[in-house]
Amino acid sequence: MRLLTLTLLAVWSALASASTDISVDAETGLTTWQTETAGIQVRLTQISPDQARAFYLARGFSAAAAERYASECVFMTVVRNIGDVPIQHRLADWRYESAGQPPRPIRSKAAWERRWKQQGVPEAARIAFTWAQLPATQTFAPGDWNQGMTSYSVPRGGTFDLRFAWRAGAKTHSGKLEQLRCADEAS
Amino acid sequence: MKLRRYVSGAVLAACCVFAVPLAAHAADLPPLSHSLTLQAPKPAPALKLKDLDGQTHDLVRLRGRVVLINFWATWCPPCRREMPSMERLSQALQGEAFSVLAVDVGEDADTIDAFTAQLDATPTFPVLLDTRSRALQAWKVAGLPTTFLVDRQGRIVASAIGGREFDHPDIIRAIRELLNR
Repeated sequence: MRLLTLTLLAVWSALASASTDISVDAETGLTTWQTETAGIQVRLTQISPDQARAFYLARGFSAAAAERYASECVFMTVVRNIGDVPIQHRLADWRYESAGQPPRPIRSKAAWERRWKQQGVPEAARIAFTWAQLPATQTFAPGDWNQGMTSYSVPRGGTFDLRFAWRAGAKTHSGKLEQLRCADEAS
Repeated sequence: MKLRRYVSGAVLAACCVFAVPLAAHAADLPPLSHSLTLQAPKPAPALKLKDLDGQTHDLVRLRGRVVLINFWATWCPPCRREMPSMERLSQALQGEAFSVLAVDVGEDADTIDAFTAQLDATPTFPVLLDTRSRALQAWKVAGLPTTFLVDRQGRIVASAIGGREFDHPDIIRAIRELLNR
């Protein structure tokens, strides 16, 4: 019980100290959400369907495969250790929740890889895809960071909340970005 | 090489079209760090790859030198941003027992040339081709860019995950300390 109380306190304090900065790029009109809490910074920037299509077509995806990925709600995602101790990141622990839907995990790189193989996406293109996604797992020392794509099955213009989790020391922490909005087709 | 330069010019525009949109406005870009994470020395995995001109480079043959090994790709925004600082670092330590190896993941020489041709200073260090990402796997890289510092004994002694300003005084100081050991 005591452990549970301490854990809840840790989670509460992490959430309580978090605030979200929202900015819109004047040039592209795309929105960025950024929050900092308990030694971690998480930042999501909208990627428009056109950008996603163009990126993967340029990497060797077929039009159909690129379109499949572009139909997802895609964000450029940055995770940065802004604290003093190493943090362990595991994307499988993240959950997103849109209206009327239960919390869902983010589709893994391995799941995408299976799909791309079935669709006959060339190996070089699959390699680029794999490395362009946010790492599935990573240990971030202070100052370390990664940037990569994350995708969500949410309609264009739809909104969702994202709960991200990480471990520091022996503790599991979590934070939340609320009302993230998918880029419109016209973005 | 001349042919590749010619082709590079032709594909440069296309490269820009696809690379730039994924990078946010300069003022909004995530800042580059300048830290290196020191670690207990451990033997570096093998690294033997061809460069853009087909010449083979083997890390073992650089024993006795401090080597900075950077895993990157042209489509990776922080990789693109940190590349000029790696060249400045290389120039700053020119004449010392220090080498830089940039290992590109999954791309061909034309694509890389198209990118480096845009830089103010073309990299003078070798850019190696890890076409099938086997080296990344051997080095247990989880995300790009990732950089390792290898000491004169061929041991990994530090790493950096994410983009860096490699010519930052803190990083140059750390490398000089290794050079002076």
